[in-house]
Amino acid sequence: MSNQRKRLSGEREDEDDEDAEGIGEWERAYVDDRSWEELQEDESGLLRPIDNSAIYHAQYRRRLRMLSAAAAGTRIQKGLIRYLYIVIDFSRAAAETDFRPSRIAVMAKHVEAFIREFFDQNPLSQVGLVSIKNGVAHTLTDLGGSPETHIKELMGKLEALGDSSLQNALELVNEHLSQVPSYGHREVLILYSALCTCDPGDIMDTIQKCKKSKLRCSVIGLSAEMFICKHLCQETGGLYSVAVDEVHLKDLLLEHAPPPPAIAEFAISNLIKMGFPQRAAEGSMAICSCHKEVKIGAGYMCPRCKARVCDLPTECTICGLTLVSSPHLARSYHHLFPIAPFDEVPALSSLNDSRKDLGKSCFGCQQSLNGAGNKPGPCVTCRKCKHYFCLDCDIYIHESLHNCPGCESIHRPKSVSLMEE
Amino acid sequence: MIFKIEDVTVYFPYDNIYPEQYEYMIELKRALDAKGHCLLEMPTGTGKTIALLSLITSYRLSRPDSPIKLVYCTRTVHEMEKTLAELKVLHDYQVRHLGTQAKILAIGLSSRKNLCVNTKVLAAENRDSVDAACRKRTASWVRALSTENPNIELCDYFENYEKAAENALLPPGVYTLEDLRAFGKNCGWCPYFLARHMVQFANVIVYSYQYLLDPKVAGIISKELQKESVVVFDEAHNIDNVCIEALSVSVRRVTLEGANRNLNKIRQEIDRFKATDAGRLRAEYNRLVEGLALRGDLSGSDQWLANPALPHDILKEAVPGNIRRAEHFVHVLRRLLQYLGVRLDTENVEKESPVSFVSSLNSQAGIEQKTLKFCYDRLQSLMLTLEITDTDEFLPIQTVCDFATLVGTYARGFSIIIEPYDERMPHIPDPILQLSCHDASLAIKPVFDRFQSVVITSGTLSPIDLYPRLLSFTPVVSRSFKMSMTRDCICPMVLTRGRYVYKTNPDHLPYCLVLYGFTLWVVFFFSDQLPVSTKFDMRSDPGVVRNYGKLLVEMVSIVPDGVVCFFVSYSYMDGIIATWNETGILKEIMQQKLVFIETQDVVETTLALDNYRRACDCGRGAVFFSVARGKVAEGIDFDRHYGRLVVMYGVPFQYTLSKILLARLEYLRDTFQIKEGDFLTFDALRQAAQCVGRVIRSKADYGMMIFADKRYSRHDKRSKLPGWILSHLRDAHLNLSTDMAIHIAREFLRKMAQPYDKAGTMGRKTLLTQEDLEKMAETGVQDMAY
Repeated sequence: MSNQRKRLSGEREDEDDEDAEGIGEWERAYVDDRSWEELQEDESGLLRPIDNSAIYHAQYRRRLRMLSAAAAGTRIQKGLIRYLYIVIDFSRAAAETDFRPSRIAVMAKHVEAFIREFFDQNPLSQVGLVSIKNGVAHTLTDLGGSPETHIKELMGKLEALGDSSLQNALELVNEHLSQVPSYGHREVLILYSALCTCDPGDIMDTIQKCKKSKLRCSVIGLSAEMFICKHLCQETGGLYSVAVDEVHLKDLLLEHAPPPPAIAEFAISNLIKMGFPQRAAEGSMAICSCHKEVKIGAGYMCPRCKARVCDLPTECTICGLTLVSSPHLARSYHHLFPIAPFDEVPALSSLNDSRKDLGKSCFGCQQSLNGAGNKPGPCVTCRKCKHYFCLDCDIYIHESLHNCPGCESIHRPKSVSLMEE
Repeated sequence: MIFKIEDVTVYFPYDNIYPEQYEYMIELKRALDAKGHCLLEMPTGTGKTIALLSLITSYRLSRPDSPIKLVYCTRTVHEMEKTLAELKVLHDYQVRHLGTQAKILAIGLSSRKNLCVNTKVLAAENRDSVDAACRKRTASWVRALSTENPNIELCDYFENYEKAAENALLPPGVYTLEDLRAFGKNCGWCPYFLARHMVQFANVIVYSYQYLLDPKVAGIISKELQKESVVVFDEAHNIDNVCIEALSVSVRRVTLEGANRNLNKIRQEIDRFKATDAGRLRAEYNRLVEGLALRGDLSGSDQWLANPALPHDILKEAVPGNIRRAEHFVHVLRRLLQYLGVRLDTENVEKESPVSFVSSLNSQAGIEQKTLKFCYDRLQSLMLTLEITDTDEFLPIQTVCDFATLVGTYARGFSIIIEPYDERMPHIPDPILQLSCHDASLAIKPVFDRFQSVVITSGTLSPIDLYPRLLSFTPVVSRSFKMSMTRDCICPMVLTRGRYVYKTNPDHLPYCLVLYGFTLWVVFFFSDQLPVSTKFDMRSDPGVVRNYGKLLVEMVSIVPDGVVCFFVSYSYMDGIIATWNETGILKEIMQQKLVFIETQDVVETTLALDNYRRACDCGRGAVFFSVARGKVAEGIDFDRHYGRLVVMYGVPFQYTLSKILLARLEYLRDTFQIKEGDFLTFDALRQAAQCVGRVIRSKADYGMMIFADKRYSRHDKRSKLPGWILSHLRDAHLNLSTDMAIHIAREFLRKMAQPYDKAGTMGRKTLLTQEDLEKMAETGVQDMAY
């Protein structure tokens, strides 16, 4: 492939010496994407639709991760109450255009998606944003539970300037997170696009400090592997990964959305005082304690001090009580009892018979499990109910639904299931 | 793991083995069976050392009736320690599986400076003064004197060692230098003399090349090794140079002045002895008349360096009459010094063969060839007689006698070159007289003759057929192994042109306008697509220098952590850095990474290296500017994040106008039929390979290599690179411009940052388990998956 690539770029040089600078942005996007190289032919010489092996691969990765988690023990304690700071590097290197249109835009786009996904999966957790610019770390937003506030702040500050400093960012985050209650999990996720860090002091000390304060640091690099990032992640138990392209970056970010296994020290059971505030009456006027603004309706009242807050979950600014709503608690529950990963069914002819009995369709979406050319496509099966599912349903069940439709239907009254048969 | 190679059961201390290690062992075993010499090239980072050690020790265990001895030669003390550490792991493993019968004695041997435990002796700053300080306390006459005079300081460690006499033995085990020192301190025995003594009993000896190749040292240390030894030269790509240096001497003005002072001192000593103890000089004279072996009756501690000529060339005769008396000998030396002084006064470069030099010496100073030949031994005998202990002060006269003996012994393969000044600085007179050896096979011949098997191995021995010719021996096995890898972890590229630009650079606008008027565009593409090279006629071209700079500027912004650059020479590096500084390129580089520069000063360089490593560690990133053939290029590893990219600027040819090199080339052409061009290219390319090979030291590592010179794209140059680099050098990467290189580098770094499977997938198995090996033994090695 690279041979081809070489020849292509060689030709480019020979031909369009004169009008080389005339390549428009749109044209260059195609030249760089090289989407034609992904086209494949099937046996009869027809063009296949774009190969989605990349997606299969991502699936595979996810499955692997689930498997390893399942192998480690049936019940993993997970940190459900997370205090996550997202650090985004807006230094000079973020202006590079190897991700289209630029690294900074791509980062912002995916961080936005990540924040939404994060709150969806961790309703009890809070997020804060920090940016690095000109060698200094700035707090964009403080810890809070409202995705909209964060996203608004993030989108407003898109410019890349100066050097980058890992140490400054870590110090700032560490300072912010030191006030967090002990049951909460401190985490920082750094999106790092620079390849060096200009620090005011010894970063190794800072790393040790983070380690001591149980701050789990994860880094996603945008260009290449850096030793210091790897070291930081190893020391603090975080993940380090480097994005190959935009899709990969998205996958890597979303890997951080499900709660990580709890750190042993925090694994002791703990009672947490929480308030379940009521929604304020429509039309009632009050000054909210978080923005200090007069608001009509919309808002919650702290059950202890009666202060008004705008969003849940949060911490009451007056009395410091953790405020949540009951659906938040319920949604966090599934992380503790995940569905066991489905087994992959090998696409062997010997299995065809058993599959015929099942009507060769996915139990979830009722689509045929046969792929192109009426050959058995890839599918998976639940260990408990032995129903077959297609790959799309597999992901949907594990990542959004958190219930196996097959197992759920077993528990129905016998008469109903008989009727179905 | 334990497995069988033919009839030898091999004990290998790890659970998995690389396929190339297994093949390496098979070849090595065949060479041992054939009792012949072999030449093996295997890339660094594939566990050469452990494969070697494990096979040879296992071979020894499987042949209990004819135990072989392993002599392992390394280039540096650091490598010696590493080898011994690996041997320790292996030894533990073998003992665990075989019990005490597998016990061996392995020692590392080094100079007094590295082994001494006497704090007072160690206080001396360099090697020679440590040696002298030791002699001051251990020489036999000093010790004899001290029985009468208790004020004379002796070394307790040596005294204890002497007292223990034959009982001073090391229990079996593997001793690193550190272990030896600890053992010596514990028992109160001198580790240096103990190690020297144990050489004849040890099963494995690890020491430096010089101990075997330099006849001065080898004559003392290695003379008792038996024929059934396997000699291994590790990292032996420069072995020909080591051999040549062992037999080359250079004399400067300073040397002559020092030698004159030494002679005066000797003269005084002689007078003093004449007055006090004339019998001693008389005895020496009688001994010389009888032609007794010169050092036959000396105790261990009085031993000196042996004769600089090779053992079989030394005459076993009595010392000629005209230098038997001490005064006469001093006169002869004085005449020799005078003659050399006259020769150094020359205005022109002179080149002479030893024969004509000796004959003109004979006619002008009246010193015969035979007299010359005995100079070194005679001096040694005299100094012993005069009981001189501070040998470090007498180095100049020793050098002169070295020279005399060599020039008197050899007529072929040497030449004498006198240069009135350094070629590069013609206004500073610095006359130098060099006796340079051109034939690497001279020094190594006794080693080949004496020992059953000699193994020459390194990461870069390409082209592998040239070494047997240079060293004139016939290997029974000569092979080059490839590296099996789970991923393509090296990325060599040949950069031939500068950047392909779309935009005009305002800096050059006026210049081009004046010169070319409206044909501005054409000018730009020419100037920036300029081929890059350090060829003599191109190296000072500002376009080339700028393109080299731009390459680095772009690279430092996309490569994380450490970047190493190698230049062809110090002067070229200085020039190019100065230019980069003027044009602001250096500043651009410094925005991304810190810059460190190798200098000729060792301390400065060590400090720079240290800071370079720190900058890489803390994430600041750094660039190291270094010189091919320098200290850094030879011995310092830039593995892992310390070197993600190495840029080789130009082809590191030797300084082709050097008289010594020209003389050597001529000799090689006449004697071995090796063409000048071939040798120069071979030498340059092995240096280049050595430089870029610094970047990768293990399979888990990854790194890029950029050969920035258009000459690398030519087949005759490229084909001389070692196979493991060539196999990764794709055709598409042979003729790159800067922007293409950047593109490739970006993709490579991203790819390498992904997690990978260490064991390799089914198709390319890179870690073999015991079962795999057993299966392979049945089906034959050919099926091995690469």
